[in-house]
Amino acid sequence: MPNEIQILTVSELTKEIRKTLEENFQKVTVIGEISNFKAHVSGHWYFSLKDADAVINCTMWKGLNQYVFFTPQDGMKIVVNGSITVYPARGNYQLDIRSMKPSGLGELQEAFEKLKKKLDAEGLFDEQYKKPIPSFPQKIGIVTAIDCAAFKDMVSVAHRRFPLVELIIAPTRVQGIGAAESIVNSIKFLNEQKNIDVIIVGRGGGSIEDLWAFNEEKVSRAIFSSKIPIISGVGHEVDFTIADYVADLRAPTPSAAMEIATPDIREIHNFINEFVLISSRVINENLEESKEKLNSLTRSYGFRIPYELVKRKSQQIDITVSRILKNIEKSSIVYDKKISLLAKSLEAFDVKKTLRRGFVLVEQNSKFVTRANKFNKKQNARLKFYDGDVNTR
Amino acid sequence: MQKKKIKSNFEQDLLRLEEISRMLEEDNIELEEAIVLFDEGVKLSKSCLKTLRESELKITELKSQLEKFSQVEE
Repeated sequence: MPNEIQILTVSELTKEIRKTLEENFQKVTVIGEISNFKAHVSGHWYFSLKDADAVINCTMWKGLNQYVFFTPQDGMKIVVNGSITVYPARGNYQLDIRSMKPSGLGELQEAFEKLKKKLDAEGLFDEQYKKPIPSFPQKIGIVTAIDCAAFKDMVSVAHRRFPLVELIIAPTRVQGIGAAESIVNSIKFLNEQKNIDVIIVGRGGGSIEDLWAFNEEKVSRAIFSSKIPIISGVGHEVDFTIADYVADLRAPTPSAAMEIATPDIREIHNFINEFVLISSRVINENLEESKEKLNSLTRSYGFRIPYELVKRKSQQIDITVSRILKNIEKSSIVYDKKISLLAKSLEAFDVKKTLRRGFVLVEQNSKFVTRANKFNKKQNARLKFYDGDVNTR
Repeated sequence: MQKKKIKSNFEQDLLRLEEISRMLEEDNIELEEAIVLFDEGVKLSKSCLKTLRESELKITELKSQLEKFSQVEE
């Protein structure tokens, strides 16, 4: 038996190899650089890990790779956990990866710079593609996690600044499993809603890993393709994501994004109040001016002419009237003379003159007796002489 | 290009108010015209202030529609 050479079939050998490898490398942690990365339509990932001298094929199944917060890229150095599996049919072994992370923050930084450069070269950040942000939105779409502080902040800003607006919320996963897909989906979804004026894509502060979804290429492409203008508000002031560069406007935080998206109701109030104030003043000034103009017109030479005419006419009237009066006076003097002449001629018939010549008037019972047959001899009579009366008996 | 959208009454009113305010401040405006504009402006500002006073933030969450949408997408 010891001398006998054991002959194995390929299957038997492979089975042994498989057993050895799979038993001994059930749980390994490996560091290496990604190359030939391919995300298959099935959702599985295929790539190689390499260093200067060696290379190993890797797979990561769909169910597991969705937990990876970043999209692996060629050249990225990562640390993976997994096990060795052997495929008898192809006679090769591979590393089945359970989890992966960048070997350091530098790796993410590098990925960030790489994508930024690529998209910049494609023109995704160009100013010419930036859509203007409307100043009076009626509907603001919000892409964010509805249970986070950032959302509450945005609501309170909208409430304070511009309660006329309607917020349309697309509850979105903004970190962890499927975050990038969720953001892309929400942006597309809001683009299909009616009359949304502007979209805010936001989330609160966090680590670079937490914010990583906003550095994913698909998110940037979705932002770029959005027909509705997008304001990004991711993390804190210091955090810059690729999404910020593609967005039509970058706000330092979610609250700031809402501030930019909404006009301030107090400013509108001030504007309206000022309008009433200033316009009243303008109107008053205009009125005063017109009054002044009117006054100076009425004082002008032209306006005095009719008045002068009246004055002249009334003077004429005065002259005429006094002439008439003078004439009347003259004729009354003439009449006076005529009257005194008449009076003199009348005097000729005066009784007294007759009496003076020696005639006597006889009076009985206070009546003049002018005929003898009227004289009553039995009665007293009064004789009227020129120089006095005599009573007879 | 984006389809032309009808601006909200509120925005239109505010823009008109701004326009009136500009016109009123022009030097050669006639008094009668100014008074007509002023009258219009005061009416507009009243209605704007009323809108502001009565405004209330509306929040619409489209969770279920979004879920349906994402299923279709996948």
